[in-house]
Amino acid sequence: MNPSGNLSRTGAGAAMPPAPTPALAIAPRRSPQMLLLLAPVLLLIVVIFDYPLLKTAYWSILDEDTGRLTTAHFAEFWQSQAYLRVIWRTLRVALTVTVVTVLMGYPLAYWATRLGPGWRMVVLGLVVMTFWVSILVRTYAWIVVLGSSGLANRSLIGLGLTDKPVQFLYNEFGVIVGMVNVLLPFLVLPLHAAMMRIDPRLSQVAQTMGAKPLRTFWQVFFPLSVSALVTSAILVFILALGFYITPAILGGGKVPLVANMMDLLINRVANWNMAAVVSVVLLAMTLSLYALYQRLRDGPR
Amino acid sequence: MTLPFRLHLLCSAAVVALALPGMAAAEQVLNIMNAGGEYGDSVEACVNKPFTEKTGIKVVTETPGGFAKMQAQAKSGVITNTTSDGSTGDMLRMAAEGLIEKVDWAKVNPEPMFDEAKNDYGFGASYYSTIMAYRSDAPAVTNWVEFFDTAKFPGKRALPTYPDFILPFAAMGGGQSMEDAAKGVDLDLAFATLERIKADTIWWESGAQPAQLLKDNEAQYAIAWSGRVFGHDGITASYNQGMLDISWQVVAKGITDEQRGMLYQWLALQSNAEVQKCLVGYLPYPGPSPELAALVTPEQAALFPTADANKAVQWLVPGQWWFENGAEVEKRWTEFKLLQ
Repeated sequence: MNPSGNLSRTGAGAAMPPAPTPALAIAPRRSPQMLLLLAPVLLLIVVIFDYPLLKTAYWSILDEDTGRLTTAHFAEFWQSQAYLRVIWRTLRVALTVTVVTVLMGYPLAYWATRLGPGWRMVVLGLVVMTFWVSILVRTYAWIVVLGSSGLANRSLIGLGLTDKPVQFLYNEFGVIVGMVNVLLPFLVLPLHAAMMRIDPRLSQVAQTMGAKPLRTFWQVFFPLSVSALVTSAILVFILALGFYITPAILGGGKVPLVANMMDLLINRVANWNMAAVVSVVLLAMTLSLYALYQRLRDGPR
Repeated sequence: MTLPFRLHLLCSAAVVALALPGMAAAEQVLNIMNAGGEYGDSVEACVNKPFTEKTGIKVVTETPGGFAKMQAQAKSGVITNTTSDGSTGDMLRMAAEGLIEKVDWAKVNPEPMFDEAKNDYGFGASYYSTIMAYRSDAPAVTNWVEFFDTAKFPGKRALPTYPDFILPFAAMGGGQSMEDAAKGVDLDLAFATLERIKADTIWWESGAQPAQLLKDNEAQYAIAWSGRVFGHDGITASYNQGMLDISWQVVAKGITDEQRGMLYQWLALQSNAEVQKCLVGYLPYPGPSPELAALVTPEQAALFPTADANKAVQWLVPGQWWFENGAEVEKRWTEFKLLQ
């Protein structure tokens, strides 16, 4: 499992604004040559991606001893509280992370649009820079900050606000802090790009008509940015579902999320059938969210 | 996560599959698996490097190894990795599942080594212990009942997230005697203890973590592998009631005669006392050579888990019990870990 590789790959796509409309005009043009050009990549995807995926789905209903199909693994999945509970916890953590990321990222992205070009470069540069630091290093850095003899606790004790170190780490709180840190750029960058495309003259017009700045923001700017906000938030949510390193380290092994559960099922106890069941359930969930994402991204035309 | 990860894995698999035939023709390659980390580094420097110099065979290491990895390889039907390291319980389970073949000791033809390290199913590469360690400024604990008594000895416990390395101690923390634990683990007692100290637990995955957690004062008490906690300032470690085990190298079933030949040469090299001396220079996990103790300083030898004084206060891991109960342990452990 390699969340950093995974993130940066998705990140490259996320940082780019959605394709402008002229590209759509080219898309429907279908010719035999076009298909021929696409064939190698299509074949590659089918062979190395779709086939193993189907095989995973097959494992989820295969009884290895008899070779027959069975629903036993799914039955075990429903009967044991453990698997559903981890999925539920993952959804809850991912949702919390998304909400916190939105609350922190939206003002940041908005603030950056108000800056001059030079300062905007600096601010966005600082955001992008976090991509250059390995996710492992960033995660461990939080131990230095939030640990029981870390910066935060020493300051709190120094200020006399508490006499015993506050337990920031090795619980859900620590995991959420670490995940927000990693995911913030994935919200800020696309959101900022979308905000830059909003015509500033609309806000100017509103103010000319006598609207106060606050009203201009809520009635003019915010509604125009909300679709980009929702799509970025869904992206963050989907990425949050797959975190492995952050919960393993900052959760002290006590906040296992789906990826940690998969590691346990595949690498430790070799229960591939159950791992396949969890994969299928997770895939179904992610696909539904992706469908929602697509629908929101395309917007009402 | 699921999709890109799988894609990534398969891409690499495809690349490897395409590249392998070409590589094999160019040079001989021995594929092995081990725990990696600092231990992997020591094997690379003390075993693999001289091995390649001597034989011209390149050694490619995959980390980590273990029971699940060996099973995965057997299921996939392509046996690339010829060996993995594993505990006694791991080795016996691999044997029972038909994942490994017997070692042909006549063909390995090692230098002198302790009899107990020459198993039918494995080459005993090194001795290691799982022991208690704590910050030197924390009140000292002397046995597992005290170790798990968070009321009398407050503080966080850094514990291994591997059932075979935590459950026996947790059972002893719940009152099982060392003599009984050496025969088999009282699982109910063990899980009850872990449930009781849940709020004070930090689980670790990598062998280097417990020492770091103690140093950073994130945890005050820890269960750790012996090679990782001695010789650190501010950390006290004790072999008392520790669990002594041998780390085995097994032989994967289904390898070719050529692979087996290379593997046996590689194993034989590890029976050499000088090679083992080089290894303990990294981590104090002594190898199976009777000549090793004479080659190292008395101070070094005194820290070995196999030193007489240390061996006397420890117990040997009940490999047979783990083999018989491994599946049940895994089931209960999965539930416990996921439901916490």
